[in-house]
Amino acid sequence: MILYTPLAETDIFPHEAGENVNRECINYNGKQVFVEKNKDGSYQLLQLLSTDPQDFLDDNYSPGTIIN
Amino acid sequence: MDKDMQKKEGQTQDDQSSNSSSLVQKIQSLGQTNVPQAPDSNIHVLSIVGQIEGHIQLPPQNKTTKYEHLLPQLIAIEQNPKIEGLVILLNTVGGDVEAGLALAEMISSMSKPTVSIVLGGGHSIGVPIAVSADHSFIVPTATMTIHPVRLTGLVIGVPQTFEYLDKMQERVINFVVSHSNIKEEKFKDLMFAKGNLTRDIGTNVVGHDAVDYGLIDGVGGVKEAMEKVNELIDNTQGPQQEVIQ
Repeated sequence: MILYTPLAETDIFPHEAGENVNRECINYNGKQVFVEKNKDGSYQLLQLLSTDPQDFLDDNYSPGTIIN
Repeated sequence: MDKDMQKKEGQTQDDQSSNSSSLVQKIQSLGQTNVPQAPDSNIHVLSIVGQIEGHIQLPPQNKTTKYEHLLPQLIAIEQNPKIEGLVILLNTVGGDVEAGLALAEMISSMSKPTVSIVLGGGHSIGVPIAVSADHSFIVPTATMTIHPVRLTGLVIGVPQTFEYLDKMQERVINFVVSHSNIKEEKFKDLMFAKGNLTRDIGTNVVGHDAVDYGLIDGVGGVKEAMEKVNELIDNTQGPQQEVIQ
């Protein structure tokens, strides 16, 4: 792998151990979304992966929505 | 009647409580309450932001665009007859060379009109992606850093490593030269220029300069990009409509 970026390697790969390991990409109602698992077992939507700009106007996919 | 009314009131109260909790959620996460609804769009938007992630998964604190998510979306856009055009929003600091080139080749080989807008920054491997669209725009404040491909970390110290690196760089240069109006000489001059970046080789090209060098087709933002993509859509659909008449 060769990275072509003006960033320094230490900016991309810091030495401390990574957090946010409970983050995953799932299919929610036919749309791909990034979610983070909460302590109570529910998921919180972090990011919607879609090319349809109208999807981003849909309240159900706005970041922060809790998915059960 | 009264019971119905009570029921309805009960329902609206329930609705209100669920609404207010989702409202609180949204205010906490977004800082706003609602967004306007609009009809379906025939133009889709692909945003390429943060670092371009390739074969190796980057640590989670990096904001990344994963190329394996974008490739199927590009195929879906190509296949869907309701989608007539694509706008690519770029604000990237670069990333994996091969993932970036894969995205650039996919976009350049699409049959539907594509327009890219460089916002903020389109550095390094963001350059081939920006020029891969049918027409590219850059906002006046955006910059593109053009610099040599380099390696950090553990390298096998044989001359072949550097030949490999040079070939990798050649692939980037060839793609940019063949998909934009910049001359190879000029692009290499910018790439290997000294004194422009502090203690580094390369050039930081800002808005209008990118257009002057022929790298980007025009200076503009959302309005110009939407006008251009609609114009390209009309051009591709024009002859077909005449045949029907």
